[in-house]
Amino acid sequence: MTPSARKQPLPLAIISTGFVILWVVLAAFPFIWTVWGSFKVEQDFFSRDTFWDAIYGVRTIAQTGSAFTSDGYYGAWITRDFLSSVINTLIVTVSVVVISLTFGTLGGYALARSGHRYTFWILMAALVFRAMPHITLVSGYLLPFFEMNIWGYLPTAIIVLVAINQPFTLWMLHSFFLSIPKDLDESAMVDGCSRFQAFRLVVIPVMWPGVITTGLFSFLLAYNDFATTAMLLSQPNQTMVPKIASFLGTVQQEGNVMFAVAAVVSATAPLFVLVMFFQRQIVSGLTAGAVKG
Amino acid sequence: MAEIRLKNVSKRWHNFVGVDNFSLDIADREFLVLLGPSGCGKTTTMRMIAGLEDISEGEIWLGDRLVNKLEPKDRDISMVFQSYGLYPNMTVYENIRFPLRVRKVPKELHHEKVMQAAKMVELTDFLERRPAALSGGQRQRVALGRAIVRQPTAFLMDEPLSNLDAKLRVSTRAQIKNLQHTLKVTTIYVTHDQIEAMTLADRVVVMNKGVVQQVGTPTDIYDNPANTFVASFIGSPAMNLVNGNIAYGTFVAKGIEVKGLQKNVNGAVTLGFRAEDASLVSEGGQLGAEVYSMELLGEATMASFKIGDHLVSIKSGKEYRAEIGDTIHAKIPASICHLFDAQTGGRLARVAAN
Repeated sequence: MTPSARKQPLPLAIISTGFVILWVVLAAFPFIWTVWGSFKVEQDFFSRDTFWDAIYGVRTIAQTGSAFTSDGYYGAWITRDFLSSVINTLIVTVSVVVISLTFGTLGGYALARSGHRYTFWILMAALVFRAMPHITLVSGYLLPFFEMNIWGYLPTAIIVLVAINQPFTLWMLHSFFLSIPKDLDESAMVDGCSRFQAFRLVVIPVMWPGVITTGLFSFLLAYNDFATTAMLLSQPNQTMVPKIASFLGTVQQEGNVMFAVAAVVSATAPLFVLVMFFQRQIVSGLTAGAVKG
Repeated sequence: MAEIRLKNVSKRWHNFVGVDNFSLDIADREFLVLLGPSGCGKTTTMRMIAGLEDISEGEIWLGDRLVNKLEPKDRDISMVFQSYGLYPNMTVYENIRFPLRVRKVPKELHHEKVMQAAKMVELTDFLERRPAALSGGQRQRVALGRAIVRQPTAFLMDEPLSNLDAKLRVSTRAQIKNLQHTLKVTTIYVTHDQIEAMTLADRVVVMNKGVVQQVGTPTDIYDNPANTFVASFIGSPAMNLVNGNIAYGTFVAKGIEVKGLQKNVNGAVTLGFRAEDASLVSEGGQLGAEVYSMELLGEATMASFKIGDHLVSIKSGKEYRAEIGDTIHAKIPASICHLFDAQTGGRLARVAAN
């Protein structure tokens, strides 16, 4: 904003700036507080006396000799082997994104270009499945999974997550494909492409923002999922989110809250990198939707 | 390079008829224009030839190949779309090269062919640009260049000029005409603009509501329209049409009386004549009425009259002046008149020498 371009009355400028600052602080505070607290000991971060303990780290200094400690990270990553769940998460998310996008682009394209009336009903059915609580799919299939002896493995969780995610990717990619003029595929086909070549060589290159945006949403769904992964994965195959939950402990077993806090911070960091990296594509994918020729 | 034959081609969607029983032989190297108002089936006909639309009935032959079941890519045609259909992620050079790439033309020939096509459509200075950085006319030329980069059996052009401004339209029109002459490739051109049709075509097909109204050379269609639809569609202004009655060779309607017409028809007819064939006179003549409006066209003056429900226009010299409301007479000799059936709109043939 150039200073001369938009002159606001001073009180309004102060109020609006103040409001924005307040909003940013409110939105960012929980995360910043967690990051800060992850370097303290539990008695400080969850102090019963005063929250100033968490800021000054009185007991952290008493126990470790320094105001900051990486005990939480050490416990989560080394003692409790958080790395294996990171790898599991990686496998699950990458598989879910790749499978969802493969079917999503092909199906979304077919639905967008088909002139048949049943496409509407397919999309309506997809919407219904999208609206369904995730746990429905899990609870219905839990027994068959036990009987078929496929409970606890990563591929099972991947299939269920794809099933949950697919209606959404179909919808999203369908509307992206609709925004691409039909003339584009048709001129490609006249120029010598088969339907699939037109899709691969002409339509998909124009669709990148849409594919990346949809891929990111699929990624977040798989990454953050708790209901499915917690129910379907055995202990050694757990992904990050159920693992973090298990750090908190159960009725039988005492947990270590600081391990969970450190793991949460570790799990959030990649998201920042990801969003920062794809920022431009996401914004153009979310706002534009249309591709001008 | 080949002729194109359409045999009883029809297109239906459920119970809507898009194109009805279209039969036509298009000669090798002919420039054929499909002309009609929007929704008349002209674009559908072209898309069926291109293979972008299924054919409900009939046969389409390209040369000696029956192409009904062939994919667009196997029909060996190239097409220019109304919205150009350029690939936004590729440069102009890559856009023009694309047909060569997907058709597996040997790589070493690409550059030469692309440059040749780019030169023909005058785009050599813009080869590294993306379509988004081009003006409408330049985009249109990229689409043309992409169509001519290889030698197809036929060119199909779907209203290629309709997105351009009036001035650019005239120059691009000339360019298309010249390209077709140089390349000698059978061309089918769809338009709703009768001036484009008249200037470009070897033959014009006038269509309405999926039915062919008339096939003929531009002169033919202008001078001898087959029915009132063609008469009212071709020409600027369109042919004047007046409903009235004819008896013993004399046509009568309110404010107009023409003697010496053919004597073989009696009863209700529609009389047609062109604005430039009639002339304004101060006294006598076949038409006498109050001037409804006067239009200065620059090279001529157009006087119009309200005859019944119809507006009748008559052209006069550029110096001619009259006020709205003046009573003026016009000479409409029988020789310039066309008669159409009042019910069907079909042309009533002139009886030779009566």
